Amino acid sequence: MSGADRSDAWVALRSLPMGEHVEVSDGERTWTGTIVPHHELSGDRILQLKLESGYNIGIRIEPGFTFRTLAESNAPPVRGAPVPGGTVPRSATGSVVLLTTGGTIASRVDYETGGVRPVKEESEVLAFYPELEASGAVRIVPVFDRLSEDIAPEDWPTIAQHVVTAYRDGAAGVVIAHGTDTLGFTAAALSFLLADLPGPVVLVGAQRSPDRPSSDGASNLRAAVAVARDPRIGEVVVVMHAGPSDDRFAIHRGTWVRKMHSSRRDAFHSQNGPPLGYVVDGRVELGAGVRPPAAGPPRLDGPMDARGGLLWFYPGLTADRAETFSKGMRGIVLAGTGLGHVGSWHLTWIRSATARGMIVAMTTQCLEGNADPYVYATGRELLRAGVLYLGDLLPETAYVKLLWALGHSADPKRVEELLRADRVGEFRDRHDAGGPP
Amino acid sequence: MKAGLEVHQQLATGKLFCACPSELSDDVTLSFVRRLRRASGEGLAIDPAVEYQASRGFSYRYEAGPSNCLVEMDEEPPHPVNPTALDTALQVALLLHARPVDEIEVMRKIVVDGSNTSGFQRTALVAVDGRLDVAGKRYSILSVCLEEDAARKSGGSDAEVIYRLDRLGIPLIEIATGPEITSGAEARAVAEEIGAIVRSTRRVRRGLGTIREDLNVSIEGGHRTEIKGVQELRLIEQYVEGEAARQSVLLGIRDELRRRNAPPVGTVATEVTDGFADVTSGPLAAASRKGPVLALRLRGFADLLRSPPGTDERLGRELAEQARSIGLRGILHSDELPGYGVDAAHVEAVARRLGLEREDAFVLVTDGSRERAERAIARVAERADRAREGIPGETRDPLPDGRTRFSRPLPGRERMYPETDVPPISVERARLERLAESLPESTAARRARLVREYGLSEEIVRQLAAADALDPFETLASYGRSPGAVARLLVQEVPGVALPPGIVEFEPSVDALDALLAAAEAGRFAKEGIPNMLSAFAGGAKDLEAALTVSGLGGMSREELEGLVEKVVRENARMIAARGGAAFSPLMGDVMRAVRGRRDGGEVAKLLREAIARSNPAA
Ligand SMILES: [Zn+2]
Repeated sequence: MSGADRSDAWVALRSLPMGEHVEVSDGERTWTGTIVPHHELSGDRILQLKLESGYNIGIRIEPGFTFRTLAESNAPPVRGAPVPGGTVPRSATGSVVLLTTGGTIASRVDYETGGVRPVKEESEVLAFYPELEASGAVRIVPVFDRLSEDIAPEDWPTIAQHVVTAYRDGAAGVVIAHGTDTLGFTAAALSFLLADLPGPVVLVGAQRSPDRPSSDGASNLRAAVAVARDPRIGEVVVVMHAGPSDDRFAIHRGTWVRKMHSSRRDAFHSQNGPPLGYVVDGRVELGAGVRPPAAGPPRLDGPMDARGGLLWFYPGLTADRAETFSKGMRGIVLAGTGLGHVGSWHLTWIRSATARGMIVAMTTQCLEGNADPYVYATGRELLRAGVLYLGDLLPETAYVKLLWALGHSADPKRVEELLRADRVGEFRDRHDAGGPP
Repeated sequence: MKAGLEVHQQLATGKLFCACPSELSDDVTLSFVRRLRRASGEGLAIDPAVEYQASRGFSYRYEAGPSNCLVEMDEEPPHPVNPTALDTALQVALLLHARPVDEIEVMRKIVVDGSNTSGFQRTALVAVDGRLDVAGKRYSILSVCLEEDAARKSGGSDAEVIYRLDRLGIPLIEIATGPEITSGAEARAVAEEIGAIVRSTRRVRRGLGTIREDLNVSIEGGHRTEIKGVQELRLIEQYVEGEAARQSVLLGIRDELRRRNAPPVGTVATEVTDGFADVTSGPLAAASRKGPVLALRLRGFADLLRSPPGTDERLGRELAEQARSIGLRGILHSDELPGYGVDAAHVEAVARRLGLEREDAFVLVTDGSRERAERAIARVAERADRAREGIPGETRDPLPDGRTRFSRPLPGRERMYPETDVPPISVERARLERLAESLPESTAARRARLVREYGLSEEIVRQLAAADALDPFETLASYGRSPGAVARLLVQEVPGVALPPGIVEFEPSVDALDALLAAAEAGRFAKEGIPNMLSAFAGGAKDLEAALTVSGLGGMSREELEGLVEKVVRENARMIAARGGAAFSPLMGDVMRAVRGRRDGGEVAKLLREAIARSNPAA
């Protein structure tokens, strides 16, 4: 298969498979290389070639170019080493069960094409992270394969059910690998959905993808496994970097935690006070107030009702828009300004909504501190209009808790009771004065 | 001999993938620790360089400061490529007659020595197929790349390497020549010419370490080695010639080993600690030694570890470098024994222990840690074994004395994959046309013009270019200063200035130099006083008057000078009467000592001659 092609070379070239070795020429200059995947943002008629030097370049294949395919490249293909396969059936008893929900825990780079292939098989993942099993077996159970922004409220009970099953099968602890974008929502949801937990449920993610040597995935995962083995913990937590270093990790309560930065490794913060503890040099250090394990057995405390919403107030938000947004919903969480305020022009629709039995709950878009209706007149009027103030709950946590409460009762009074009651330590009664770090 | 160059020049355009300044800073405001994983779980054995780095551990501390943001900390994705840096790289490509690619794709090149927080260096191929003519010979330019500089080592211990992040992300233009260089002098000339071309864009950083060269050298029958990170242009010749000599010696050793049928070198060491119990001095002295003494037999290596006559290269040094690379002080080998506190009886005993035959040699190693001593033996054995094949592919570090030292094995094929966080850049024709129009005058054309316009010699212009002083030369000349005086100032007087104690750098502004020359021309002080005046400026004198005071050159008026001359002539009237015109020389010396450079020497001579003539009209 060679010989110059007199028709438009571009048409023929783009039908060639990735990894094909070709020589293209404009009659003056000849390029030899391997066809590699087209970049999404690449220009028109650009052929992407990996040259012998390892560099990728783009060549604009104008009409008049010729090409021919070549036999195998002279250079030996650069590929990853074979992965030892493990086929022995593995039991959950005494193991940490690692539930994967998507994103990439591990991936391999094919230097020949530049492609990145996610690694999903248990044996392959463990070969990737041999240190994971340093202190005991880890079993990997795929739940689904979804980017975290594609995880919806109906997925939360599915994950929770896998946790219940893992503990029933004798797991020592459960780790959930999850994309970081909505990790906080899932952590809050599992906090409410899982009752009588006999051990920790640890959500973990990575802010740097695993196709790079500096990925935080491996160290986060290792810290998460250490927390999952800790017998003092019986709640849902998130374990991620506590700072830019790879040797200190924070343990956040699932209802307190929020992603506060789009890219930093230490993006996750516990709002309103310190986290539950830290992992330092592989050692789990806990502060006061960690919820101890229950005797079990764990159960799924569902369902959830997705007919709830979260609305961020801003100065131009009209009453019409807010009312339209809340149509068909049984409840809505407002992220109000300051101590929990919205423009007074919203009072009318809120009054009629609460009169119809809709839950209207208030949180603060400041993200830290209480929503408090008593300080200003607007707050007092909102309170009189039937708005439920949810203290220092994060707007997201309040939203998740709303869906959970709606799932538990058709009666608005009962839903309000559930929302008000502290369930898993989500309210912080005391806001630490802070001090030198 | 065949050699090729890779020239890396830092740009002063701001960093390549973020908005930080491309400047170094010694302020550290934050430090943090990272571990780099071997790239994506692949086997390490594939790449000897990566494996070697891996064997040295993976924990790194980074220091960040005012030249850093989250991008260098690997806490934020890279921003799109700095357009000014890319324009500069494209300009350099055009100046080198290279062909830009149609679309530039940024790659990740795996580097796990910790010098990049990401674990890779971002690099992009910008252009290929250029050429460069130097002294009538044509060299090929294989590629022009644009890449980010790495962090610089600022300290560390066995357990942890410390890097400063200020340098990370500074744009580097990398220019690779073909292997057509055949001597050290050529290598230096090509490096100088490339440096001048890159500087002509006026967007480069200046100073030591801002331009670095990698030298690829091989000789017939040898193997390519890479001398990496040469900062001193003037040592290039020595490095290149020295490497050729080293390879030649190693090939000679290989031939001799083959002639002797030397078998593969075993790696099993023999412990000979008790044989040295009575050694009282040297590295094996029982009192100072903290661990075992291990011996390794090298079959067929007798007399091959020392330098062959007339050379300075020796295999023993190469073996010692291997031991040093993992922290040992060195080795002892049988070609240098007895010595170092070891006597003939000790040597004899070790030879018996190892069952040594006539053509065999041995190596002794000691270290506080037995494990490390064993690793050293393994490395020494491996290196000795490679001697049977010739020259191992190595990366070598340049040393300040013009020699080089083993650094690590030559990396395999670069492990690169696309940097998906940075969009590819289409190189539009309009951009190239715009750059082509604003291209700086080529360095060759500029030199020819300077010779023509200013009547300078080609040699002086070459020296101005080598001193990176063409710009200040033209500026000062355009201010009306004498071209000859300006050239002397920039080529000799400024580079040769005697720096006052505690001052390490002196970069006078063009305006300061202009004022200096103008004052000398106006007779404020003598031309001979220029070095002293420069020293005064280097020491911090803030203006001309201050410099005149500090250097003691200020404050001699014409009247004072005339008075001084009259006085000297009066006091020596008898000698003038006796010797006539011949009195001039000794008296001129006296007067000049008193003038201390405050007035021009020609002026003094003229006044003195006139005064002598008045005193003795016959003279
Ligand atoms: Zn920066």
